[in-house]
Amino acid sequence: MSRLSRRPVPLVAATAAVLLAAACGSGSGSGGSTSSTPVSGGSLTYAVDTEPVSWDIDVSQQDITGSIQRNVFDSLVFQDDKGQFHPWLASSWTVAKDLRTYTFHLRKGVTFTDGTPFNAQAVKTNFDRIVDPATTSQYAAGLLGPYSGTKVVDAYTVEVSFTKAFAPFLQAASTPYLGFYSPAAIAKYGSKLGAGGPADVGTGPFVFSSYTKGQSAVLTRNPKYDWAPATDSHQGPAYLDKLTYRFLSQDSVRVGALRSGQVQVAKSVPPADVKTLTPGSGLTVISKQAPGGVYNLVLNASRGPFTDQRVREAVQRGINVDADVKSVYFGAYQRAWSPLSPATAGYDSALTGTWPYDPKLADRLLDQAGWTARDSSGYRTKDGKRLSLVWPLMPQNLVSQQHDILGQAVQADLKKLGIQVERPRQDVGTFVKQLFGGKDDISDYSWARADPDVLRLYFNSAETPAKGGANGTFIKDADLDAWTEQGQTTLDPAARATFYTQVQKRAVDLSLVVPMYVVSSVYGASTHAHGITADANTWLEFHDAWLGK
Amino acid sequence: MKATHLLQAVARRVAAAAAVLLGAATVAFAALQLIPGDPVTTMLGPFSSATPEVRDRIRAQYGLGEPVGQQYLHYLGHLLRGDLGQSYQVQRPVGSLIGDQLGPTAQLALAALALALLLALVSAVATAGRRPVLRGAASLLELLTVSSPSYWTGILLLTAFSFHWQLFPVAGAQNGTSLVLPALTLALPMTGVLAQVLREGLETALHEPFAVTARSRGLSSTAVRLRHALRHAALPLVTLTGWLAGSLLGGAVLVETVFGRPGIGALILQATTNKDMPLVIGLVLLSALVFVVLSTLVDLLYLVIDPRLRTDQVTP
Repeated sequence: MSRLSRRPVPLVAATAAVLLAAACGSGSGSGGSTSSTPVSGGSLTYAVDTEPVSWDIDVSQQDITGSIQRNVFDSLVFQDDKGQFHPWLASSWTVAKDLRTYTFHLRKGVTFTDGTPFNAQAVKTNFDRIVDPATTSQYAAGLLGPYSGTKVVDAYTVEVSFTKAFAPFLQAASTPYLGFYSPAAIAKYGSKLGAGGPADVGTGPFVFSSYTKGQSAVLTRNPKYDWAPATDSHQGPAYLDKLTYRFLSQDSVRVGALRSGQVQVAKSVPPADVKTLTPGSGLTVISKQAPGGVYNLVLNASRGPFTDQRVREAVQRGINVDADVKSVYFGAYQRAWSPLSPATAGYDSALTGTWPYDPKLADRLLDQAGWTARDSSGYRTKDGKRLSLVWPLMPQNLVSQQHDILGQAVQADLKKLGIQVERPRQDVGTFVKQLFGGKDDISDYSWARADPDVLRLYFNSAETPAKGGANGTFIKDADLDAWTEQGQTTLDPAARATFYTQVQKRAVDLSLVVPMYVVSSVYGASTHAHGITADANTWLEFHDAWLGK
Repeated sequence: MKATHLLQAVARRVAAAAAVLLGAATVAFAALQLIPGDPVTTMLGPFSSATPEVRDRIRAQYGLGEPVGQQYLHYLGHLLRGDLGQSYQVQRPVGSLIGDQLGPTAQLALAALALALLLALVSAVATAGRRPVLRGAASLLELLTVSSPSYWTGILLLTAFSFHWQLFPVAGAQNGTSLVLPALTLALPMTGVLAQVLREGLETALHEPFAVTARSRGLSSTAVRLRHALRHAALPLVTLTGWLAGSLLGGAVLVETVFGRPGIGALILQATTNKDMPLVIGLVLLSALVFVVLSTLVDLLYLVIDPRLRTDQVTP
C-alpha cells in the first residue's frame, strides 16, 4: 500500500495561516516591485519557527527539513503551483501504461557540489538507500510506495519500477524528500547525514555551509548551478551570496526581528500582525494557500450518536463556521466548503454555499433522531442518555493556530443545540491510542499535500490513522473506496477530477466532515527582498531571490 | 585539618555524588517508562506515515521490545562504562550531542550568575538600612523581576533594546553583544531573590554590637557594610546562590528559546517532546551533576568565608 501522507499541519510548522481577504487566492505575492533588474550578491536572513530534528531528507518527515533542504537538493521533476510537472534533473520521462514503470532521461552535465557527476547510478543509490530498512525512513520510503527497484539503463537513463500501479509517483518525485545526495557523501557519512552541515552534498542552488543547533543554518551560493526548472525566472546560479535560516520559535521575536531589519523574511506571521505589515513600513506579506486537506472537523461515523447520519448532519449544519472562523482569525480567513483545499487540482467549487449554517434544521434533525428529551443542564437525552461527544485536545505544545480557541466557539454553537462536547486534554501517548482506536467522536486536522489523492487518506476505509492514513471518520463506503482507488490508477486530469469531485460531494453529503478553513502560509518580508515566491508546498523559493536597495 | 579526615570527607562526597547520580538516572528511567503510549509512536509523532515495518525496526534497534528490567540493567551497564547511548532522533552519541551544546549554555549561565551577584550586591549594599523610600523602591523592583516570567522579561528587553533602539542583536551567539540581553533576562529573577536575602542579612548584621563598635572606631558607613556586615550576611547568600545557580540550567532553556541561542535549551526541548530517552536521561544526569558540583563548591566556600567552621572537626 502506498502511503503518501504528508504530516498534517497541526504537527508541522505552525503556520499562522491567516490571510487578508484581499490577499486571498492561490496566487503568491512577491516582495517589492518586479520592474527593477535583479542584482547579484548580498546576504538574506530568514527567520523560521521550527528547527529540523534530523536533516536527512531520506529520514525526516518534517516540513522544515524539506523546506530548507529544498535549496540544497534538486528533484527529478518540478511541480508548479498549478500541479503541472516540468523537467528538472530529468529532461524528459515516460510512464508505462500500467503505471508500474517510470523511465527518466536525465539531464547531462549536472554535478554535485563535491564535483562528482549526477547520473543514473546516483538515482539508484539514493532510492535504494531510502527503502533500506537500516535508513529507518519516516517519510521518503512512504513516498516511494510499492517501490520494487531502479534499473540503470545507461549512464543517463533510469527505470524506476513498482510492484503495482502507482500514479502519485511524479508528485512524490518532485518533493525534496526524493532529492539526491552525492553517492560519495552517502558512502562517506552514511547515518551522519542527519546532523546537517557540509556533509549534506546535493546539486541545488545553495551549499549547506554550516549549522549551529538552536541558532542558525547557513547556506551559500553554488556558483556552478545551471539547471534550475524552466519555470524559474532566471537560469544560472542564485543571486544571493548567502542565505541564513534563523530559528526563532517565538512569534513576537520573529516579527520584531523583521520590523527592526535584523531578518529580511519571517515565517508564520501571527494574525494580529498581518495588517501592520504594510509597504509604508517597508514590509510586505506573502501568503499562499496550502494544497491538500483543509482544516476539517472529522466526525467518527463508527461509534456512538454519530452512527446516525442525522446527528452528524445536525452538527455540520449547527456550527456557525463563518462567524467562528471570522472571530477567531480577525475576520481575515477564508472559510472552507470542501474537505479539499482550493489550491489542489480537482477542487470542487460547486460545493460553495451548499451547506450553510442552519440551527433550525439541526434542531429538527436531532428531534427526528430521537434526541428529544432534555436533562437538568439543558442537554438533549435519549433513553436517559445525554447527547455527549468526545473531542480530545492535543497536548498544548502540539496545538497550533489557536485551534483550541476555535474549538471553544464550536463547543458553544453545539451547546445551543443541546449537544455536549467534552474536550479532555491528553498526552501524546493517550491521544494517539484513542485516535488510532477510533475512540473519539471528533478529531481535527488538516493534511498538506499537492495532490487530490489526499482524499483517499481521508475517506478510503483502508486508510485508518493506525495505518498511517487520515480516515478518522472510520467510514466504510463502497463509493468512496472505489472512487479514491480509481483516482489513483490514472494520470488523466479530467478523469481524476471527476472521481475527486464525487468524493468531495459524497463526503459532505454523508456529513463525515465539517470543513472549517483553508490553511495558508503567511510570510512577512522586507520590501528590499525581491523575487521570493512560494512553491506548491507553500514553501519559499530562493533561487530567484535578490536584495535591492 | 588532618589528612585522614580530609580523605574521609572527600570519599564521603564522592560516594554521595555517585548515589545522587544513580538515583537521578533511575528516576529518569522510571519516569520515562511511566509516560503512557508507545515510545516509537511518541518519537515519530501522532500522524507519522512510518510503516509498521519501520516502527518494528526502530523498536528492535533500541531494544524497546525487551522486558523493562533487562532494559534497565543494559542501560546501567552502559552508563557505568561512561556510554550515554545514542540519541533516537539524531542517531548520534548523547555525550557528544550534549558536549557540543554545553559551551554556549555554560557561557550564558556563568554570565547570568556573575551579573546577578553583582547587581544584587550593589542593590543590597546601597539600600540596606537606608531611607525607607529608597529601600522600598529597590525592594519593589526586585519583587517585580522575581515575579515576571523570564520569557516575558526577555521579550520586553528585546522589544526595547533590540527592536526599538537596536543596541543588541535579536539572537544568536556570534559575539559578546549578543550575550547581554539573554544574560540579563536570566539574571534578573535571581538578582531579585539574592538582593532581598542579602539586604535582610546586612540589616541584621548592622544592628549587631560589632557593627556599632566598628562605627564607634570611626569607620565610614560603607566600610562597615563592605568589611564587616557583608561577611556575616554572605553565608545564606552563598547557600542560596548554589541553589539558584543550579536552576539557571532550567531557566536557560526558556531564555535560549526566546533568543534563538544555541545551547542545551534546544536540546532539552527536542528531547522531551520527542521522548528521546537516551538524550533525556543524559540531560537529567547533566543537571544532577551540576547540582552535585555546586553543592560541593558551596560547602568549600563556607570554609573560606567563615573561619569558625575551619576546625579539626570536619563538618558532615
